[in-house]
Amino acid sequence: MKQSTKNRLYLLLPILSVLTLLAVFTLLSSQEGTLIPTPIEIWKRFWDMMTIQISKATLPVHVWVSLKRVLTAFVAAILLGVSLGVFLGWSPTFNALVSPVFEILRPIPPIAWIPLVILWFGIGEMSKIFIVFIGSFVPIVINTHSGMNSIDPLLINAGLVLGANRSQLLVDVALPATVPAILAGIKTALSGGWMCVLAAEMIVAKQGVGFLIVRGQEMGDMSQIVVCMLVIGIVNVLMSTCLTKLEGVLCPWQFKKAK
Amino acid sequence: MAVQKSKINLTNVSKAFATKDKTVQVLKGISLDVCENEFLVILGPGQCGKTVLLNIIADLESMTSGEIQFASGKPKMGQLGVVFQRYALFPWKSVMGNVEMNPKLKGVDKRTRRELAQKYIDLVGLAGYENALPQQLSGGMKQRVGIARAYASESDILLMDEPFGALDAQTRYQMQAEILNIWERKKRTVLFVTNNIEEAIFLGDRIILLGGTPTSVKKEYVPDLPRPRSYTDAGFYALRSEIAANTDLAL
Repeated sequence: MKQSTKNRLYLLLPILSVLTLLAVFTLLSSQEGTLIPTPIEIWKRFWDMMTIQISKATLPVHVWVSLKRVLTAFVAAILLGVSLGVFLGWSPTFNALVSPVFEILRPIPPIAWIPLVILWFGIGEMSKIFIVFIGSFVPIVINTHSGMNSIDPLLINAGLVLGANRSQLLVDVALPATVPAILAGIKTALSGGWMCVLAAEMIVAKQGVGFLIVRGQEMGDMSQIVVCMLVIGIVNVLMSTCLTKLEGVLCPWQFKKAK
Repeated sequence: MAVQKSKINLTNVSKAFATKDKTVQVLKGISLDVCENEFLVILGPGQCGKTVLLNIIADLESMTSGEIQFASGKPKMGQLGVVFQRYALFPWKSVMGNVEMNPKLKGVDKRTRRELAQKYIDLVGLAGYENALPQQLSGGMKQRVGIARAYASESDILLMDEPFGALDAQTRYQMQAEILNIWERKKRTVLFVTNNIEEAIFLGDRIILLGGTPTSVKKEYVPDLPRPRSYTDAGFYALRSEIAANTDLAL
């Protein structure tokens, strides 16, 4: 097959797959007595939700409320998570001291914290933010730590013979070498955090996409549920796309290949 | 050859590594002199501890026993130029960023260190590539950056650990000629480690052959061949055969 034909095929196939999904969806949903909303119903519901307020907010506002929780928690998780990961990787003493505690807490699913967090913080913003924090903090620490541990010892030696003292070694060699791992951690953390906020909102919230889904269930409004599910997916895709772009800016050496 | 000033003196340097249930003696009683501005090649089979020896001289590893004396006093970290086999360039730094690293860490102001780095970037023939990232360079060019970076430490001693070991054969020949060319223009005391006999003869003022288990100095050769040396020269070939016959085979 010619290269140009191949390229055209690769452009066409994704469109074909989405169209097929849509066709199957339409076919199933238009059967008599099914419990699946048709694509047209979903589309209409989507436009309604853009303008009509549910619990005092339109769909974009709900998305923004959820995003704000994620981003707030996220900033805290990055600051604390990166610091903790760096220190775990940098100081064997600190690692021996802190790692056991972290290893015990680490595998607890963030959602398991919800009851306790509600008792601590009530049902306000803080409880949601805290759940997201737990969900995104852990992958950031793990990635940063393993990134620090997998720095090429040769680069450390190079830094040493070039005369770096200990703090220069950390700032000029170890940290830049760990940036790709930190970004990978942030990527994982972002989708993790996004899942956590929805879970938290589904249990207790007055606004947010997770709340909208539960409200849809209570009202028997399947279109609303599906709209929310799609929005959740799309927002996640957009966030990872932004992060991938950021990766290209922050560590071009990971991407620029030899000419 | 006239009597030359000794620059580095190694006396009975030994190194043993402790593993779980035994100690492995790697280097045993290595004594040698590196003379000022000479190109000294340390030749030895793979895994014989050449890198360990160089790391000990660079103070990256400790020795079990022995003594190393520098004519100009024991250098602090950052006062020796070191070229590594796998380049060891910082991938996030440009060519300029890599070469100026040593003066930067010393706190030299930006303009002075840029000028200094530029001088050595020009010396290794990389003018025009200052802003390129290592990733964008070929193996030979990467090692040119490594050499410029070592030169930029302004040390009168350069340690080179199989610097051309990762290059393809053609580039390797080219770089061998190039390193001599650079060294002729800016003389330094060079300690060059290799496992390649031809490379050793092509480059060295003197060749120290290592061998045995644990590794010790087997023999010293002084190639009596005018530079530039030719691989196809009869004298070259004779010396090559002599050294080869005396070399332990690496497993």
